[in-house]
Amino acid sequence: MRIRRLVLLVSILVLCLVLLTLQTRGRASGAADLVARITTPVQKTLSAIHRGAFGLWSTYLDWKNVRAENRRLRDENQRLRVDALAVSETAEENQRLRRMLELKARLPLNTLTGEIIAREWGGWVRSLTVNRGRADDVKRLTAVISPDGLVGRVVDVRPGAAVVQVLTDPTSTVGAHAVRTRTPGVVEGEPRGTIRFKYMARDGSALQPGDLVVTSGLGGLFPRGIPVGRVRAIDDRGSALFSFATLEPAVNFAKIDEVLLVTGDRMEDVTAYFQTGG
Amino acid sequence: MLALTIFGGGVAHATLAPALRIGDVAPDIPLIVVILLALRRGPEFGAIAGFAAGLLQDVAGGGLVGAQALTKAVLGFTLGVIGGRLRVTQPLVQVTGLVVLSIVEGILRFGILKIFHFPAPFGELMAYVVLPQALYNGFLGAALVLALAWADAQRHPAA
Repeated sequence: MRIRRLVLLVSILVLCLVLLTLQTRGRASGAADLVARITTPVQKTLSAIHRGAFGLWSTYLDWKNVRAENRRLRDENQRLRVDALAVSETAEENQRLRRMLELKARLPLNTLTGEIIAREWGGWVRSLTVNRGRADDVKRLTAVISPDGLVGRVVDVRPGAAVVQVLTDPTSTVGAHAVRTRTPGVVEGEPRGTIRFKYMARDGSALQPGDLVVTSGLGGLFPRGIPVGRVRAIDDRGSALFSFATLEPAVNFAKIDEVLLVTGDRMEDVTAYFQTGG
Repeated sequence: MLALTIFGGGVAHATLAPALRIGDVAPDIPLIVVILLALRRGPEFGAIAGFAAGLLQDVAGGGLVGAQALTKAVLGFTLGVIGGRLRVTQPLVQVTGLVVLSIVEGILRFGILKIFHFPAPFGELMAYVVLPQALYNGFLGAALVLALAWADAQRHPAA
């Protein structure tokens, strides 16, 4: 038994040494070639299986990771969008209120801040409802302004709210003049939601697009110098008594959220207190 | 069964070992297989398994054919002879044993290759190849032994 084991070991050793010696003497080993011929195809097959299995596994892991990451990123994206909207909204509101307060502090008038709580935007009537009413001592025909210019006037006062007729209301008329040419006239609302400046042809021949039109203060309803709009186009009626200029309103009525109600009786010229940008 | 195990070990070494590589160290799977077989089946089995597995590795690796066949055959035979006198059941002993045997195999292989003018210095070879691989073999082999023992226990619950 022991001899058989030793014979086996010695045979193996001799075989190995012969193989090694043959190779170092530059003779190709036929046995090695034979072994390689058998093992190589099997190796290739198993390698392909191994690669495939690992590839499949990595694909699964990637897919799983991507799915989880995708879900996480979606949630994060949603949250960030909401946050961004909130921040943006807050920043905008902050800016609006700041402008409003700055105007309130600047103006030599008694004013009351109001928040718009409703809008009537049909063609027949164009109005805003503010959260100031009889309890706040708001009176009918009170002028309503914003940092950009004139909004309109209060036409109806209720216990906790007031209805403001905006300039674009078809029944709205405001005494105004062009700042550069001092051309007097009337700003009227139109059913299509625009405003126009109606003036006497002989007084407004020099009127140009871009000219600023402000309240005239005549009639004692609105303080003088509140921006109403800028001339967009001039409709020269030739020999007619009146000409018309289409105005771009100073205030974007659709986007306005807060206003100032002019509550006192002081009616000073406030042209210098509005930033008209030239 | 023997042929399948050895052949599978050799091929697994060529295909699976690169995937199990940690840093630049890959385990010597055929050596682990030979050691386990020799301990269980005796010197003849160990010698033949070592020779076959080593030969396959030599051919697959493209080195000197016969070097690993010789070292693994000697190792398989020796372990087969002394295996019957050892009771290697503790994982710590298994890890240590596998580490030591891997080192022995490395030294033996270095000695044989040195006869055939192998150029690498012994110190570097030991530090960067033999010792890290021996450690890896130790842990992987012990894990394999434990897995086999667990499988045995599952197959024969009464024993």
